Amino acid sequence: MSTIHRVGILGAAWMGPGIAEMASHKGFEAVLVDRTQEALEAGRQAVEQSLNAQLEKWAITEVEMRLVLSRITFTTDYDALSGCDVVIESLLGDLESKRESFARLDRICKKNIILAMNTSTLSVTEIAQATSRPTRVIGLHFLAPVVRTQVVEVVRGLKTSDATFRESKAFVESLGKTGVEVYESPGFVTTRLILPMINEAAYALLEGVASAEGIDTAMRLGFEFAHGPLEMADRMGLDTVLLMLERLWRDYGDLKFRPCPLIRKMVRGGHLGLKTGEGFFKYDKEGHRLH
Amino acid sequence: MKILVLNCGSSSVKYQLLDMATEQQLAKGSVERIGMDSAQLIHVKANAASVREVSPILDHTTAVRRVLSILSHPEHGVISDVADIIAVGHRVVHGGEMFSSSVVITPAVKDTIRCLFDLAPLHNPANLLGINAAEAALPGVPQVAVFDTAFHSAMPRMAFLYALPYVLYKRYKVRRYGFHGMSHRYVSERAAQLLGRPAEDLRIITCHLGNGASVAAVKGGHSIDTSMGFTPLEGLVMGTRSGDLDPAALLYIMAKEELGLGEAQAMLNKHSGLQGLSGMSDMREIEQEMWDGNAKAREAFEIFCYRVRKYIGSYAAALEGVDAVVFTGGIGENSNAVREEVCKGLGYLGVDFDAQANSEAPRGQEAEISRPGSRVRVFVIPTNEELVIARDTATLVRQTQPVGD
Repeated sequence: MSTIHRVGILGAAWMGPGIAEMASHKGFEAVLVDRTQEALEAGRQAVEQSLNAQLEKWAITEVEMRLVLSRITFTTDYDALSGCDVVIESLLGDLESKRESFARLDRICKKNIILAMNTSTLSVTEIAQATSRPTRVIGLHFLAPVVRTQVVEVVRGLKTSDATFRESKAFVESLGKTGVEVYESPGFVTTRLILPMINEAAYALLEGVASAEGIDTAMRLGFEFAHGPLEMADRMGLDTVLLMLERLWRDYGDLKFRPCPLIRKMVRGGHLGLKTGEGFFKYDKEGHRLH
Repeated sequence: MKILVLNCGSSSVKYQLLDMATEQQLAKGSVERIGMDSAQLIHVKANAASVREVSPILDHTTAVRRVLSILSHPEHGVISDVADIIAVGHRVVHGGEMFSSSVVITPAVKDTIRCLFDLAPLHNPANLLGINAAEAALPGVPQVAVFDTAFHSAMPRMAFLYALPYVLYKRYKVRRYGFHGMSHRYVSERAAQLLGRPAEDLRIITCHLGNGASVAAVKGGHSIDTSMGFTPLEGLVMGTRSGDLDPAALLYIMAKEELGLGEAQAMLNKHSGLQGLSGMSDMREIEQEMWDGNAKAREAFEIFCYRVRKYIGSYAAALEGVDAVVFTGGIGENSNAVREEVCKGLGYLGVDFDAQANSEAPRGQEAEISRPGSRVRVFVIPTNEELVIARDTATLVRQTQPVGD
């Protein structure tokens, strides 16, 4: 593999802007592609907002901020990905839409580059089948918030080659993250272990064992978490939590993944957490929890 | 005997070609933005207009090859054949406790430089990239590493140990190393020549004042103390670096502002110093603003100079007297206002400052700015780190290859 200079990212609605920002910060050229100008504009705003927050905390300088922005190309032109040395797909969507995206990436991108899927639950093996290069397809599970979270699960599908894994892990480490090797399995490690805890926290709340505040404080201080499980759920988005629980429930057929009715009810009521300003807790526009 | 001097950063290569028969600089230049399609090469041949080229240069090896090709270019070049370059001297920032002088690069030397990545995470990896690039572009040509820390390596333990739990020194080599070694060495040697006395008998305080700034106490030709410490953050107020502060203040700020390690590091290195005090990091701009009546600029200027003066006082104590004070670096060489503010009040030490000679000191040249008969002599000496690198490289190459060029 030649060295990576240009990183392609498909999808500006979710973690894409964060990945682009991080790659650019580490000196790569980043190309962020999405279907619509609106999505790209929102992506640009997300990057600017993140950089501004860092500037405020003295983490970067204004010059560095301009430099990071200048190295990101925002475009609706998928063909821009043809010049990239690795492409990370980070679209929200189901298996079918991802299969289509990968078939398209396979046609556009240089023949031997790695195509990575950012997902927590979908099958790399299955997606790889939609391409002509299943050995060069891998999963890279970034965790939100991308810029701050230190770990990336590097997910091997059935056909992912050792070289692809090694190059991907090295790439992840050049982004300043620690890569953990994971063999494809629903939820990998992080999602599989955190979801039952969140779900159990919701049951504890539902049963009146403790208040939401009490549950989170106990877990936060008891196990040195940055956030308690209920705030974690709010930050992920309760709709996302529900979706992932259902996927794991279906894939494993195990009742421990059955979504707590309280989560379902909150999603129906539009209390999705941080993004709607209210979930188990309330939040302001900057994403700070209100006490 | 032509020697190429390289100073490699993570995305840049600065170079000079010197003819060691005359110690003349034949050409110099830089490649910036390595890794991008819009990389830029600027090449200046002595007594000629500069050449600028923009082209994709994706790695350091390509950058060094581009440098070699322009050095041997029929019009812009200064040598007819790349084979005229008999050795390459590299600036390497951190020599740790392993290197107390310059060395010919071998695989073992490279391994040691790699071991020191932890101590200089921004610089040593880039320096090693440059070494590998030069080895690839000039196979068989001897390469020499010259270290920024080496001149300070004879500091006594009482100067380099921090009063921290001793185990931290044993475990992580946390101690004062000092930087700008080539500059302090060059100007202290020049000062000894200007004084016409052997370096062995002299006590010299050298002030390298640039965007990064440090002071060194030089006794008998060796640095016995210097203001930069474990990293180039300690000591003087700098363009964007805080210099000395109470470590507990940092801990307090980190708790209050909920700063992580990276944020705290960036705050101290990139948002502090002159920039933090006044919003301006460039001394020229600060002086301009100060004359225009900007109080913040004046305060930043005074704090900067006061810190230098304090260090001169403390190093006079460390040296048990002082024979000469030297100013160098971008600010030290060019700002007569800074020199005057620093030297103001050093009369008790024996400095008889010559304000007129100071304000008339010609740019880019050596000058004495103390009055005749001054007990402590004060000099402005433009630094020449490349010449130090080239000289060490030439000396080592002669030793290892004694049979002619």
